Amino acid sequence: MTIRTYVKSTLLLALIAVSLGGLMLHLRIHPVSKNTSNFLPLLSGILSVIIVPLLFSSKKTISYGYVLNGFQVIVGTIAMAHFSVMNWPLPSSLESIVIKTTLPDIMVLWTKFFIGKALFDLELFGYDSGRHKVGLSYRYPNTGWWLVHFTAVSTVYVLSNWLWR
Amino acid sequence: MNKFKLFSLNWWILHILALTFFVFLGHAIHF
Repeated sequence: MTIRTYVKSTLLLALIAVSLGGLMLHLRIHPVSKNTSNFLPLLSGILSVIIVPLLFSSKKTISYGYVLNGFQVIVGTIAMAHFSVMNWPLPSSLESIVIKTTLPDIMVLWTKFFIGKALFDLELFGYDSGRHKVGLSYRYPNTGWWLVHFTAVSTVYVLSNWLWR
Repeated sequence: MNKFKLFSLNWWILHILALTFFVFLGHAIHF
């Protein structure tokens, strides 16, 4: 086994483990049997555990895995933040914001993003330790591109939530 | 990702589909 295969397998296992954890947490917090809209996190969880790691494992499909993985994190962050805003802990304090909102869940979700980023970057740019990171930050597949998309998706989500009820 | 070059036909199709999806998502989710 090459070190490339070894690191890739480790990261894929990390991706599956964190996704499986998220899926199981969602099943515990809001089972589909109680509300059909809970189907969305279930579907997203199944995509994360099976489809995304499969897309990441082949060089041909890794870009699709990378994009799908990142957008799942963006949608999850927006939906969970929306939930916390609507169920804001009162009285507000630093402690209640840290403990009683979905901030911890959002932080855990972002590990999924960074595992995906590491998988993609290692596959695309290789394992050369002396290689420099180049390219414009706001262009695909760099982090700035994700920031642009995170802002755009948040704006569209918030506007349609407010204006189209 | 050459298939989705900036402002190509595929890029526009993808962005219109994504925009539609996120508009419906924002509309559908209320807590």
